Amino acid sequence: MAEKSSKGTQAMDWLDERTGIRHAMDEALNEPIPGGARWAYVFGSLLLFLLVLQIVTGIVMTLYYAPTADHAHASVAYIQKVVPGGALLRGIHHYGSSAMIILAIAHLAQTFLFGAYKRKRELVWIVGVVMLLIIFAFGFTGYLLAWDQAAYFGTKVGTAIAGEIPFIGSLQQKIMLGGTELTTVTLSRFFTTHVFLLPLALIALAGLHVLLFRKAGPAGPYHDRDNHRVDRFYPKQIFKDSVAILLVFLGLVYLALKWPAELGPVADPTSDYLARPPWYFMPLFQLLKYFPGKLAIVPTVVLPAVIFGVLFLLPFFDRKGERNPFKRPLATGLLILVLAVAGGLIYVSKYQDAHNPEFAEKLKQQDEEMHAFFKAPFLPQQIGAKTVAVAAKAASNDTVAPKAYLESCADCHGDKGEGASAPELLGVAAKPNRSHDDLIKILGDSRAYGLKKPMPANFPDLTDEDKKAIVEWMVKLK
Amino acid sequence: MSVHHASEENHSERRSFLGVLSGLIAAGISAILGVTIGRFAISPALSSTSAEAWTDVGPLADIAEGKPTKHNVIVSQNAGWGEFNSQKLVWVLKNGEKITVFTAVCPHLGCTVNAKEEAFICACHNSKWDVAGNAVAGPTPRGLDVLEHKIEGDVLKVKYLDFKQGVSQKEVLS
Repeated sequence: MAEKSSKGTQAMDWLDERTGIRHAMDEALNEPIPGGARWAYVFGSLLLFLLVLQIVTGIVMTLYYAPTADHAHASVAYIQKVVPGGALLRGIHHYGSSAMIILAIAHLAQTFLFGAYKRKRELVWIVGVVMLLIIFAFGFTGYLLAWDQAAYFGTKVGTAIAGEIPFIGSLQQKIMLGGTELTTVTLSRFFTTHVFLLPLALIALAGLHVLLFRKAGPAGPYHDRDNHRVDRFYPKQIFKDSVAILLVFLGLVYLALKWPAELGPVADPTSDYLARPPWYFMPLFQLLKYFPGKLAIVPTVVLPAVIFGVLFLLPFFDRKGERNPFKRPLATGLLILVLAVAGGLIYVSKYQDAHNPEFAEKLKQQDEEMHAFFKAPFLPQQIGAKTVAVAAKAASNDTVAPKAYLESCADCHGDKGEGASAPELLGVAAKPNRSHDDLIKILGDSRAYGLKKPMPANFPDLTDEDKKAIVEWMVKLK
Repeated sequence: MSVHHASEENHSERRSFLGVLSGLIAAGISAILGVTIGRFAISPALSSTSAEAWTDVGPLADIAEGKPTKHNVIVSQNAGWGEFNSQKLVWVLKNGEKITVFTAVCPHLGCTVNAKEEAFICACHNSKWDVAGNAVAGPTPRGLDVLEHKIEGDVLKVKYLDFKQGVSQKEVLS
């Protein structure tokens, strides 16, 4: 035992001589915490943990994710529906992004309330505000990557809002989109920004934030009651941080398992999808309703500029030493007002959607479509030579599909039966249980033949003549 | 033992107890994530297989008599979110009724095998095979790999497979 310990010490000595690890650990673990360890101080460590968690889950998802418009959705569906642990990891990443926003706001709100940005902590505060902006940018860029209906139309609206900004808006929108339309180039840009540029920026800023914090030291409580008490970072604060991290982690796992991260049908730019942003952009979305047209500049530019301008400059114009939130009614009131207005705007937005019959019906329909896709088994995409061969074969069919087929079937099975989101129909009549009569019956009750969603159960709009015309054309497909 | 010493010992024990608990929490989270990520990253790679399906080489009438001819076949491979249909090369040798289909993948290191003057060669490392696919020169560990074939109607079909390279015995990769 003694020999083992001695070998361990020798190894540590070897490492210490080369890295100075003992001194670094001593500095980190024995940092004094004025007023003692507290649950109120866990937010910074929680955010650091979430940053690492988001990076780790994000990196592993790129093992399967394909950032192109043709394949992104299928690769996300594969992660969600097929890969063991995929739904859990995607769910943790999905809810982790919301948790980061909530905790970053809570961390800043607490720092603001306790006046912890004062007394040589201006830079710590400013770096923190920039980090909050980057966390929002993570949410915006990550939202598109699933390339489903919500992602496509949500981002379309988001980039259009960015285009509303006077003078630079149009240029900014083009740079974001990689052109004038939301295309596969946009997806590549958002992917690169989300997985390379923003993480690099956030890691660098997190390092700077911790460094500046260490230099300035913890602010301690806003009152003097515990002035006599000083704890070291290890073990009490680390223990509190660890318990908070465990609770948040278990919460994310629970959410990911109980309510898996949503994924709807693949983006269809021709559809009339009713776009709604994620909850953290909903206050801005709602404000835009009150400031239409040229007034859109108010919520898109003026208000964010004022809020973040105030946040950036706060430590410089609030120079008083007082930190007690109860003795700073203006600051405390302002914080409560901003949070209440943001929460209120989210509520009003949800309320209006729920009480507008047209919107409520459309949103309900979209929700049903999303759930139907979510429950449907995974269908691998057909990629490469066979697809080309099938398309060529289909193109060689010189008979034109009947109008009823083009209106009711072609969107999924292709104009010439070559297949699209649903399987090809070439040679279908040669397959078992797909005779002329079977095909007529399938159009009347597809479930009786074991066909599942997204294939409709029946086609009430088709007349018997329509069904006959479709099937007579289908059996000729070779 | 003095009261002072006892108090210091209690304090030290509490420190190490909280430290151990923090370590257990870190280990627990790492274990959950580690197992999930391990399954996520490795499991599909181990279960991925090439589809063993018959694929068309072409009409029998189009295959030249008595000399190796090169043909493209389309092979489906289930690779995660897609069924990838890629073109592969095979060599067909037809002598009357007797047909032999070789894969064009060199059994040495996987370069493409070509035909030259009634024989097969691999230009990467100068391996050579006779027209029957027997190894005659170079580092190749075995003869050319023969693929199972059949004739349906007037169409030649082949069951395309991948084989392990660098070993003397033909071994199907699965």
